[in-house]
Amino acid sequence: MKVQIKNVNGVFAWGWQIPKHDQKVKKDHNNSIVSGSDVDHQEQNSDDEDDEEDFCGICRASFIRACPNCKFPSDGCPIVIGKCKHNFHVHCIFEWLETEASRGLCPMCRQVFELRKGVVINDLHYVTFKELILKRQKEQNEFEATAEDDEALARMIAAQEGNNGDVPVDDILDQDMVVR
Amino acid sequence: MASLPKRIIKETERLVSDPVPGITAEPHDDNLRYFSVTIEGPEGSPYEHGIFDLELFLPDDYPMESPKVRFLTKIYHPNIDRLGRICLDVLKTNWSPALQIRTVLLSIQALLASPNPNDPLANDVAEDWIKNETGAIATAKEWTQKYAQAKE
Repeated sequence: MKVQIKNVNGVFAWGWQIPKHDQKVKKDHNNSIVSGSDVDHQEQNSDDEDDEEDFCGICRASFIRACPNCKFPSDGCPIVIGKCKHNFHVHCIFEWLETEASRGLCPMCRQVFELRKGVVINDLHYVTFKELILKRQKEQNEFEATAEDDEALARMIAAQEGNNGDVPVDDILDQDMVVR
Repeated sequence: MASLPKRIIKETERLVSDPVPGITAEPHDDNLRYFSVTIEGPEGSPYEHGIFDLELFLPDDYPMESPKVRFLTKIYHPNIDRLGRICLDVLKTNWSPALQIRTVLLSIQALLASPNPNDPLANDVAEDWIKNETGAIATAKEWTQKYAQAKE
């Protein structure tokens, strides 16, 4: 007997259940399955690049796809929900927060990035993120404390070298940073 | 060369299909991270009617690191030095991976519309701008006419 497949109909699709705005998230929800109507909603928006809720603001890929460094979406490449209501792939936001330049801030709104409490998919990452943010904030405080000293030092160097104003103090500051 | 991240491909496509008014950005065939950029001088600014060439490079760490942008056309502006380097917060300390090539170029266009001599990169230009604004604006217009004209 020969079987010829003429047509295939998908009967389910998956997506993240991302809390919209102030909607409360119930802890007993299964976070990786959504109803068909939500999927329709996502498909309608899939061409709209600026829909912050369905796209990772860092890699710009849809949340139903993996981040650029992962092959498979879902459990292997989860997302996190920010307190500021901005959501990202865990890998994307973590890579950003690991850079000193991030100063621990959300890429979208520049508030200190914290994970929203009471969201199941955040639970796994809560401690790691908290530690990382604390590290960034500590650096920032130290930086602010030494910035004034650096400027005074740069002016002193400029004066010693008989600088006639050709080299801005900022340039000397940049060099100083590189040395450190 | 490692394959080009999807985000860069998407951004490039959009720059071509839905360009920002007054701005063009085209990647080089042999290096898709290197763009030739032109920015029209904003209306009502001393750079009006000028077309400025810039180069833009996306480092390996982009978007975790900002694009590197530089003016190739000579310009008289307090926040752009004679090597074409640009003093703009979003290119340095205020970079965020949520920004894109198009938003960065828009910020540079806005910088042309509102020079800020109180946060200078070109000290001599900034000084001139503060002491003698009319004269500085005249020089900026003159340089625009002299250096920033479309190539035939």
